[in-house]
Parts: sequence; C-alpha cells; structure tokens
Amino acid sequence: MRTDAVSAGARRAERLPARPAWTLLLYVLLALVCLPFVLPILWMFLSSLKSAQGIFGSPFGLNVDAGLKNFTQVFAGYPFARQYLNSLLTLAISVPVTMLLAATAGYAFARMRFPGRDVAFVMTLAAMMVPAELVAIPQFIAFKNLHLTNTLVPIILLQIFSATGALSVFLMRQHFITLPRELEEAGRIDGLGTLGVFRYIMLPLSRPVLATVAIFAVLNSWNDYFNPLIYLNDEAKMTLPLALQRFTDPLGGTYWNLTLAASVLVALPVLLAFLMAQRTFIESLAASGTKG
Amino acid sequence: MASHLLARREAREGFLFALPYLLGMLVFVLLPLVAVLGMSLTGWSLLDAPTFKGFANYAKLARDLEFRGSLGVTAIFTVGIVALNLTVALLLASLLNVRLAGIAAFRSMVFSPVVMPIVAWSLIWKFLLQPQGPLNTGLQHLGLDANLLLNPKTALGTLIVIEVLKAVGLNTVIFLSALQGVPPEQREAARLDGASPWQVYRHITLPMISPTLFLVFLVTVIGALKVFTPIWVLTGGGPAGATTTLIVAMFKQGFTFFEFGYASAIAAVLFFAVLLLTLLQWRLRKALVFYED
Repeated sequence: MRTDAVSAGARRAERLPARPAWTLLLYVLLALVCLPFVLPILWMFLSSLKSAQGIFGSPFGLNVDAGLKNFTQVFAGYPFARQYLNSLLTLAISVPVTMLLAATAGYAFARMRFPGRDVAFVMTLAAMMVPAELVAIPQFIAFKNLHLTNTLVPIILLQIFSATGALSVFLMRQHFITLPRELEEAGRIDGLGTLGVFRYIMLPLSRPVLATVAIFAVLNSWNDYFNPLIYLNDEAKMTLPLALQRFTDPLGGTYWNLTLAASVLVALPVLLAFLMAQRTFIESLAASGTKG
Repeated sequence: MASHLLARREAREGFLFALPYLLGMLVFVLLPLVAVLGMSLTGWSLLDAPTFKGFANYAKLARDLEFRGSLGVTAIFTVGIVALNLTVALLLASLLNVRLAGIAAFRSMVFSPVVMPIVAWSLIWKFLLQPQGPLNTGLQHLGLDANLLLNPKTALGTLIVIEVLKAVGLNTVIFLSALQGVPPEQREAARLDGASPWQVYRHITLPMISPTLFLVFLVTVIGALKVFTPIWVLTGGGPAGATTTLIVAMFKQGFTFFEFGYASAIAAVLFFAVLLLTLLQWRLRKALVFYED
C-alpha cells in the first residue's frame, strides 16, 4: 500500500508543474507536424471548387470561382458515372466473397485437421509477403486466352486472391483459435452440424474481425490500380483509379479542376467512413502490423 | 473406432471449408509463380510463340544498363522508404503518446492519408509539383533551382517523401499501441534510480517494443519493393529512368513492350530478392529483438 502511495506521489510530482506554456508549445508542435498530412487533402477539396484558371492562383486562396461546376462537368462530359458503377460493382462482389472465403478457410486452418493443412497455411503466409505484381504476366496471358481482358472478371478475381485476401484468412484464423472449444461442443450437443456451428455460433462471434477484413477488402478494391491498368482499355469499362487520369485534353494536358473534383468524389466516401469510425479504422489497420 | 470416423469426417469437412480459398490461391498465385519462373527461361513476346532459351534472359539482364540502373534505384528507394518511414513513425508515435485533450484528433490527422485513395493522393502531388506549381515556385523564391520531379537528382527522393507521407500514419499507430503497452512501472523505477529520459527511452522503451519494430521493419521493406502506383502516376519511371524500380521495369517490359519472357526474368529477380530478404531478416531477428512474447 505504502509503496503504491509513494509511486503515485512521485508520478503526480512529475506532472505537477502544469506549465501551460509547455502545453501550448506542444499543441503548436503537434499542429505543425500534422500539416503535411492534412494540407494536401484540404487543398484537394478547396481546389475542386476552382475553375481551370483559378486553380493556378494562390493554393489556399478562397477564390472558389467554379462552385460545383467541375462536379457537374465530370458527370456530363465523361463516362464517370459508369466508371463509378464499375468500381461499386467490383467492390460489391469482391468484398463479401473475400470475407466469406477468409472466414471458411480461417476456420478450417484454426479448428480442423486435414491433410496438407500446414503446408497450405505456410503458403497463405507466403502469399501475404510475396508481391502479387510478380505474377501479373502469366495471369495476363491466361486471362487473355480466356478472352476476359477488358472485363471486370480478372479485376474481381485478383482482388479476392490478393495479399489482402491472404491477410484476411490469417486474421480470421488467429481469431478463431482464441474461441473456446466448449462453444462448438455445446452446439454439437444441441444437434448442429459443422456448418451449423460455423454459421450460428462461430460467425456471430466474429463481427469485429469481419469488420477488419471488410475495411481491408474495401480499401484494397476501391484503390486497386495495377490490375485495372493491365486489363481495362475501354473508358466505359474502367474503374475509378484509372478514371482519375482520363481528364485530359487531346495533347495529354490535364484538366486539373476536373481531375481534382473527380478525386474528391473518389476520396469522399472513404474519408467519411473513416471520420465516422476512426477507432475501428485505426485499430483494424494497425492489426495488420501487430498480428501480421 | 468412432473417433477414427470422426477424424475422417473432420478431415473431409476441413478440406471442403478451405477448398474455395485454396483452389483460388493455387490457380491465381501458386501456378502463376511457377509459370513466371518457367517463362523467365523463354523468349516470349506478344507476337512470337515461346521458345526455350535457358538463362539467356538473365545473361541479357546482367548486360542491360537500364536494368542495372533499376537495381540501384530499387535499393535506394527501399532503403530511403524504410529509413524515413520508421524514423518518422517512431518520432510521431513518441510525440503522440501524451495525455492531452484532443490528442485523438492529431492521431487521426496523421493517419488520414492512409485511407486516401493512392491515385488521388499522387495526383494532388503531381499538381503541386508541376514545373510552375506552388512547391517548385516556392523553392525558386528561396533561390533554389527546383524542379523536383523532373530533375533526375531529386525525383526519387521526392517520391520517397510522398510515399512516406501517405503511409507513415499506419506504422505510427502500430508503434503507438506498442508504446502504450510498455508498463509505466519500469520506466518510473528507472527514473527513480536516476536514469535520464533518453536513457529510459533507449534502454527500456525501445527494447520493450523491439518485436513490433522488427515486424514493422519487415513489412515496410517488402512493402517498399511493391510500390508501383505513385511512381507510375507521378513520373512513369522517369526522368531518364531515375525512378524506374524493378517493379516498374517489369511492368514496362511486360505491358508496354510485351516482352513476356524478359519481363518474367525481372519478376524472378524480384522474387528471389524478396525471398532472400525474408530469410536474412529472420536471421537478423535473433540479434535485434530483445524479447518475444
């Protein structure tokens, strides 16, 4: 008891001089440190409201002379709505499938013995590490022979079986290992089969990990650039990351006002989701580093 | 007897549960990996049918000045990213590890580029770094002849900074949660014994978070070897090959010139580099990591 009191006293003593000047200095330092991270994003929002000429004025000038004109032009003059749908469709398929495969494979790796399991698990770990870009060439030749280039099929499939997919399996396995076996036994006594135990007992206990997997899969799908660059040539077939580079004049010059308005439309849903669920986002993404 | 049957049922069901994922991994990752190693031994382009050439592609790589240049670029880029990212992440995490009203907002701000779409982030910087853009003209006002992305001397360093600004928030929060896991009693005991704040940091805090440091180091090295999008959007590998990393070189050979065999040889080199690095780092682990859970 006494030692506790002493150490608490020592701790208090260390913090006692409240020194408001130091606190203020700390806030100023923190604000300065944050500038290079947030200014580019703020600049994107501000500049998306400026005209093609106005954008070249003072970077943080408040001459938002275009209003929302850039945004209407992005949809009126370009197949941007179609490209937005392509991205949404890709995401709507690849994210739930990634979650489902990660949950089933993760459960099998964690709880069931089957021949080849350990080899398969080591392969999954390797797939998290080896850059998927390495195998782009044979993948491309295969999809080309199947006449699937310029479709979303290779994009979706390669998102599901990407390093993110492997990480998802790994995260699910690490989670299922921690659940007590008694839960499964209780389920079996109640007459559930393996699928029933998985569906009605294990999955409902996995919501936080599934949320993590979903966040990874959404970001992976929404930001995917490498494979769309290889496979998609038609403007109408493109997904958003490629679409952002299509606001150009015939000589290859960029219409920056339109590019930035489109960038806002691509970034906004993700940034809003992040603002609404900051803790979940940060903890989920940090989990990749601490558990991976 | 019954347990034997149960084990067989479990094996069958386990296999079925894992099958959809394993099949996909086999078809889309493992077989292509074997294929890419095989293809690296062939002459194969969009127009020509594949012919076996042995190690001719590798011999050509050894003579190829552009490829040798890209090895150097990859080494500088990787070392630069890892050094800058880990240093900044550790500094930021230590700075953000204070009890202060509103500290969560600062953490979120540092983290926000992590969730920004990478192409949008790259395009923002592409505008800011145009020859007459605000950053270069700002530096020119200071008397520097700056054209950061178009000067072969500064392009790679500029890309490193842009990539680290985008990604460092992730390592920061990982370090932050490791720092918060260090029990305060040990630091206080050392302080009472007369250790300076730096000694406490160096001899207690850093060793305590060394497993996290090591893991983040490994992930960041391999992550740096994979970086493609910001390079392709901002410089396309230029100027004069100054930012052509191995992955950019592979992409150019494979999907601009459609030299599949030659590009596969570059991919194979990258694969063996990743493999070697991973093995090397696991050996280093023993020397660098103070303790493990």
